[in-house]
Amino acid sequence: MSTDTTERHLADEAARRAGALDRSLIEAGLDPLVTIAPDGKIIDVNNAAEKVTGRSLQQLIGTDFSDYFTDPGKARAGYEQMFREGLIKDYELQIRHRDGHVTPVLYNAWVYRHEAGDVIGVFAARDISERKRAEEEIRKLNEGLERRVRERTAELQATNTELEAFTYSVSHDLRSPLRHIDGFSKLLLEEYSADLPEDARRHLSRIRDATRRMGMMVDDLLNLTRLGRKELSMQLTGLSSLLEEAIGDLQPEMAGREIEWRIGKLPFVECDPALVKQVFADLLSNALKFTRPQEHAVIEVGETTQDGRAVIFVRDNGVGFNMKYVDKLFGVFQRLHRPEDFEGTGIGLATVQRIVHKHGGRVWAEGELNKGATFYFTLEAVESRPGESNSLPRGAA
Amino acid sequence: MIRQDVEILLVEDNPDDVELTLHALRQERLANHIEVARDGEEALDFLFCRGPYAHRSFEQAPRVVLLDLKLSKVDGMDVLREIKKDPRTRAIPVVILTASREESDVANGYHLGANGYVQKPVDFDSFRNLVKQLGLYWLVVNEPPPPAAFQEK
Repeated sequence: MSTDTTERHLADEAARRAGALDRSLIEAGLDPLVTIAPDGKIIDVNNAAEKVTGRSLQQLIGTDFSDYFTDPGKARAGYEQMFREGLIKDYELQIRHRDGHVTPVLYNAWVYRHEAGDVIGVFAARDISERKRAEEEIRKLNEGLERRVRERTAELQATNTELEAFTYSVSHDLRSPLRHIDGFSKLLLEEYSADLPEDARRHLSRIRDATRRMGMMVDDLLNLTRLGRKELSMQLTGLSSLLEEAIGDLQPEMAGREIEWRIGKLPFVECDPALVKQVFADLLSNALKFTRPQEHAVIEVGETTQDGRAVIFVRDNGVGFNMKYVDKLFGVFQRLHRPEDFEGTGIGLATVQRIVHKHGGRVWAEGELNKGATFYFTLEAVESRPGESNSLPRGAA
Repeated sequence: MIRQDVEILLVEDNPDDVELTLHALRQERLANHIEVARDGEEALDFLFCRGPYAHRSFEQAPRVVLLDLKLSKVDGMDVLREIKKDPRTRAIPVVILTASREESDVANGYHLGANGYVQKPVDFDSFRNLVKQLGLYWLVVNEPPPPAAFQEK
């Protein structure tokens, strides 16, 4: 064997071994792997690459790498960048199968230099179909969610507008006929009184009483709905001064009565003062009303804690109520007493509840027939003092 | 002076309201000459001396206009806007007299230059008392705008 022959033989052997090594390395990857020359022509592919393109090794070798992607320009830019910079990372491309099926992949590629000096590019693809599917799923879910939120918001807005229109028409349209009924029955009473029998006059005054009552209910209902639309104007307020004002406004209701006030220390809270004053006014007006049968009325207002929470309470020694009906207490137009005994439209406590809820608070009541009633309420600001437990107050309702 | 021929222009489309208001005003003997406009267009014709009122002059303006808001043809707010935007009618006192207590109506009314806003109470005694007070104030207490106030400047 000549030296030449031996040398050639050794070189061939080395090349064969290197080739075998290349192949086994290439085939070891489960991900599609391709090696290309600097001009973009495919040198070698593994089995996974054959599968993902739907073409055999023989069909692929020597063809242009960029031909097998949905965006050949981007594929070419990828390998050009790789040959220029030595590597590319997580380069996103989509491989097109012979049957048209598309596989989204992330390419990692690097330059490899053969011992012989040839420069090749090694492209390893990671199939990200699963991830893409999940992303698409999330996108669709989000889209659906956003659409549903939009639909609901539109529905709510429509309902709100409808409610406002309704309120307006109640205000304008219902009050007018009431005024006419009242007006003409009054004129009848005044101008034809002499011609009317006693019964007729009595019927007419009942018509007027009922009209006035309905007028008050319409007005109260309007105030309640107006409250729902009103924005809170919050400011730090001493509840004691609000209470004082509310008691001052109620002086006419106290005339000629013996009332013992027990006023405790009340906190400063962040609240809408006009509205919280109305809470006091409604609760105190109730207390005054329902203690009327008592010779000595006692009305107590103060701050207490229930289960570690600061709570404002208004207590009276009036006629009280049966706890069986406590659920009805805060309902609109709900009354627990006969109108002959205690007047009112049954909207005061509904208003109290609306205001307290608007402040993020809670209102509840405890009572016993003929032993008095206690109304409790919290305002968000009262509850959020530091160092207090966050357990819910024990409600009576 | 001839400008006192109509003291009150009542702009009201509801016949029941017209009758009750007239009744209240007459009972108090506050106004002898009350003109009733049954819709917004009629009110504007009267105040702008046109159509059936072409024989009238701007100097014969009423002492006060009692204006309902919900009117047919031309809405009460539009009537108010027309009155207050024209120098020949701007000085006429306009009091909105309506069932509505909507904050937006009150705000719009004043914004357009209303001289007062009064809500009609349901209770007839209160309504009558209110009409009486309005009549007293605008026809007796208040100094009406002089003819010069109705001229274009």
